[in-house]
Amino acid sequence: MPTLEFDQPSSLAEAVAALARDGARPLAGGTDLVPQLREGRRTPRLIVDLKRITELTAIRETSDGGLLIGAAASLSSIANHPLVVARYPAVVRAARMVGSLQIQNRASLGGNICNAAPSADGVPPLICLGAEGLVVGPGGERTVPVEAIATGPGRTALGPADVLVAIRLPPPAERSAATYLRFTPRREMDIAIAGAGTWIALDAAGRVTAARIVLAAVAPVPLRARGAEALLIGAVGDAGAFETAADKAAAEAQPISDTRGSADYRRSLVRVLTKRALLACREQILGPGAAA
Amino acid sequence: MSAEGATSLSVIGRRVPRVDARERVTGTAVYAADLALPGMVVARQLRSPHALAIIRSIDTTRARALPGVLAVLTAEDFPPLPTDATVPMGETGYDMWMVAELNMARGKVHWVGQPVAAVAAVDRETADAALALIAVDYEPLPSVVRIADAMKPGAPVLHDRVFTKGVEPRPQNPSNVCSRVVISRGETARALADAAATATISAEVDTAHQGYLEPQAMVAQVDANGFATVWTSTQGQFTTELMIARMLGLPQSKLKVVPLEVGGAFGGKIAIHGEAVAVKLAERCRRPVKLVFTREDVLQGGSGPAIGALFDITVGADRDGKVVAIEGTYVLDAGGLPGLSPSLLMQASAALYQTPNLKLTGSDVVTNKPRTEAYRAPGGIQAAFAFEQAMDALCQKLDLDPLEFRKRNASVTGSLMPIGTPFPSLGLTTILDRVGEHPCWRDPLSAGRLPRGRGLALGYWRGTSMTSAAHITVAGDGRPMVTMGPVDISGTRTTMAQVVAEEFGLSVDDVHVQTGDTKSVGYSDGAAGSRVARTTTAALVEAARDALGQLRRRAGEKLQSGIDDVSYAAGVFRTSRGGAISLAELMQATLTEGAIVGRGVSSKLPLGVEIGAHVADVEVDPETGQVTVLRYTAFQDVGLALNPTAVEGQMEGSVVQGLGWALTEGFDYADNGRLRNASLLDYRMPTALDVPRIDCVIVECPVPGVPYGVRGVGEVPIVPVAAALANAIARATGVRVTKMPMTPERVLAALEAARQ
Amino acid sequence: MSTPVTFKVNGITYRRDVAVGDTLLDVLRDGLALTGTKEGCGNGNCGTCTVLIDGAPVNACLVLAPEIAGADIVTIEGLSDGRTLHPIQQALVETGGTQCGFCTPGIVLSAKALLDANPAPSDHEIRQAIAGNLCRCTGYGKIVEAIAVAAERMRGGGA
Repeated sequence: MPTLEFDQPSSLAEAVAALARDGARPLAGGTDLVPQLREGRRTPRLIVDLKRITELTAIRETSDGGLLIGAAASLSSIANHPLVVARYPAVVRAARMVGSLQIQNRASLGGNICNAAPSADGVPPLICLGAEGLVVGPGGERTVPVEAIATGPGRTALGPADVLVAIRLPPPAERSAATYLRFTPRREMDIAIAGAGTWIALDAAGRVTAARIVLAAVAPVPLRARGAEALLIGAVGDAGAFETAADKAAAEAQPISDTRGSADYRRSLVRVLTKRALLACREQILGPGAAA
Repeated sequence: MSAEGATSLSVIGRRVPRVDARERVTGTAVYAADLALPGMVVARQLRSPHALAIIRSIDTTRARALPGVLAVLTAEDFPPLPTDATVPMGETGYDMWMVAELNMARGKVHWVGQPVAAVAAVDRETADAALALIAVDYEPLPSVVRIADAMKPGAPVLHDRVFTKGVEPRPQNPSNVCSRVVISRGETARALADAAATATISAEVDTAHQGYLEPQAMVAQVDANGFATVWTSTQGQFTTELMIARMLGLPQSKLKVVPLEVGGAFGGKIAIHGEAVAVKLAERCRRPVKLVFTREDVLQGGSGPAIGALFDITVGADRDGKVVAIEGTYVLDAGGLPGLSPSLLMQASAALYQTPNLKLTGSDVVTNKPRTEAYRAPGGIQAAFAFEQAMDALCQKLDLDPLEFRKRNASVTGSLMPIGTPFPSLGLTTILDRVGEHPCWRDPLSAGRLPRGRGLALGYWRGTSMTSAAHITVAGDGRPMVTMGPVDISGTRTTMAQVVAEEFGLSVDDVHVQTGDTKSVGYSDGAAGSRVARTTTAALVEAARDALGQLRRRAGEKLQSGIDDVSYAAGVFRTSRGGAISLAELMQATLTEGAIVGRGVSSKLPLGVEIGAHVADVEVDPETGQVTVLRYTAFQDVGLALNPTAVEGQMEGSVVQGLGWALTEGFDYADNGRLRNASLLDYRMPTALDVPRIDCVIVECPVPGVPYGVRGVGEVPIVPVAAALANAIARATGVRVTKMPMTPERVLAALEAARQ
Repeated sequence: MSTPVTFKVNGITYRRDVAVGDTLLDVLRDGLALTGTKEGCGNGNCGTCTVLIDGAPVNACLVLAPEIAGADIVTIEGLSDGRTLHPIQQALVETGGTQCGFCTPGIVLSAKALLDANPAPSDHEIRQAIAGNLCRCTGYGKIVEAIAVAAERMRGGGA
């Protein structure tokens, strides 16, 4: 890589200017980019290290009780942050699944989102929780729902000079819970064969008032299983309803067969993981003693 | 000397920490990739993208012209070899034409990843750029990646020099079937027809990799005299030297191989995969050359993985649960060149069962995938996966306890092995008794939310002896200095220090042990076949006696006594008249009268066969197929444990390798011969969270006629693992999984198939 | 293209020109001749290149050389002066938790980071802390035992 340059801007404006240069690529944790560089899968001319910019690494509460997570903050710093632990356990779960501890000490949510792998573990819980990305680019600032960022494997809706600065999570809704489950043959250093993130809100009678189901590794992008969500709204949140929704989610999935698993197997996993995730959410809301 | 009761030993049998542990934990142990010599350059090999192709031409002009490139090689730079050139190794030997193909394809490639050219350049970046500039004109041919395809009538014959061995009369035409072996006695067909119960298992085992964490690495240097030195990660420095010498046409007086620390090998670092190329490059560019494989090189064709295979096993028993017949067919996937004969693994699978009727038929078939090599009891775990499931299924049909069933059929000392010779000492019944007494068998299976089951499986491996040499010199302060021939891949420097300390009545700290290179110690076969500790023990016992004999004569002269009146114990020589001189004093006084050199050579030492029995408790998630190993206990007869910590280390490590292959490890080849999972992300070796603590029970039934009664240890602990898990899964779910690895997807598929 | 960086390794400050495309692993092994950190796979899937950056275990093969400006890096060479071993190292020697030794430097550092943060880890927590470090020889049992022994000694108890 003889002509590769490196830039370490200390402000957003500098970062945007650097990324506007030809062949520039942003760097956060590097756990996806560095292997891509070494294997020749990406051949940038300029690497722009975003980690010296405060807005990109800070984790802070917003005025409405939500959270702003810097896009380049390490997954470990996110998983250890008291506010994330207290309010968004699904994000902690997902952060602690990615790769290994060594990876989590470097990798970031921004990288996980923008690398746009269909199997990205960080993305489903963020979508479930209604997360938005704060993006700064040559045209200024804008907000993009996390759900709208990935457009295909390895592709995003962001322009080449855009920077995903932070991820904003709304304050957790009353009587709601989210979780993310994935299936991997090993218990560490593995990649999801399939994953299911779920978020539900229940009313006092235990009926589902809101639901999001987001599937990983079974479509070109993290997939909202809207049909399954629709089946849940208004239904009593019990095992039967969750199984019905899970069947629907499995039908909505678009898995392929590859070395990690066949399409059929992935579909089976979607059914199992969605059901289990919904049950786990319900237990979080109602407490462990609640009858199924 | 040896073979007294264990209680009278003072160093042997103790948990002595490894003498080389400190350098490992401080990161100062030197592996080949750590070497840096002045002026050293970087080598890389260019690898074939095709599974089967003719090499029409290779144009290296542009690569040679790249600034910073010092040498470029193709097969034309290596002398053609006589067709029947071989290098000896143990009971068999290596055909050199195959060794040459592993280092540099000539005229044709037979697997994706086979090396076709090599470069040496000033740095890694330049070397990689040079590879991209080498233009190889391939004519791809239709390849045969699966066994079934290679055996079809009309399939392309991969090697016109391979004729099926073991077929009479010798075939006229070459074949993809490299050999056919039949082992039989009695009449199986009738016995099976008359049996009270039979069970059949047809199983398929995927190729897996030894998974050593250190990729192949070597440094070669040729000096002004044309003398080549190679530092490398190898199981056998002498085999390496023989192979390099034959491939390059070098006299062995012009070559030295220095074995460095080995970051795991398990059978995969016996053949050379680049050493001859590194030497040639060093000769060409007159600079030291370092060749280090990437992980992708290792997985995608640059090394030799373990064999995949197909098995059909049928066993039958009478009403009392006595096995009356065993029939088996074993078809091994050799990869791109002929590999190991099926004979050893066939014998191993059936060895532990007495039966009057036996018919085992085996063959190995070449396919367009990397040439397979050894991996810890090569073929053992694969065959046991099928065989021990068949036995387990049989005792389920007879409603017999699996342990009781094994006891009723166990081979004992003197029983006939499958090839008809009687077993030397065998402690199988002792092991089975120990299993029965142990909590892992007696404790009821703990209950859980998900289905659970317990499985038992046996394992056998014969091992080998071959030859080991060692010598002992005595230093000026009386301390013994040991140089051993076999490479240490299992802690044998430590155990041999214990043996010599025991022989001399000294402490381990008084003994220095080193591994010799090919010019400083006598010829020794490679570290393989569970042979190093036992055979080097024998060699060192002989060397110690030799040295002590010389010392006793000297002591006698000093004490003015005949040698017969001099006794030695714990560092002191004494005469009956009360004269005494310590070893240190003696050496101090006589050092310049001549060196004391004790030599020892062990050759064809009587075998101490390895036997194990494993018990596994598993839990199966019936919705995902995930298997969790809850508890695992491995029983093994080791003859005598020179160092229980080292023995346990071999057992625990082998078991975890077996767990990996049993549940998550397997090569996934596409139809074009490319490996789809050529990274450690998708080639899934167990992490610390994937396996429980492995409990070990060491049984000691010493081998007669062998110093200290030591058996081989390192191979058999992998053999029963997959079968133990498969039997446990069968007991948990009622379903047998017959594809290995038993991935969650395959387990679920088997469960779903059974539900229909 | 190369760029100058100043960084600390095992307490010593270095100023080096590094190639942008090199990794921290390249800088350590080739640039500083600190070969205790090993390369097993080159893409973050084995943990043999684990080092500590500001106390946190990371895969050196995934860190680009220019990123280490200002970093405080600890490699295996920084853990002992060669005479007195760190308790984790000593315990591995005693329990047999090192065989071929290739994974050992990475494991020692992952264990150190664990015990620095959690002086009394459970068996499961120990396994979690080293789950990003593959070992092919030991089966992990004696490594876990060593880390538990070291933890106890560092808390002031045990033999």
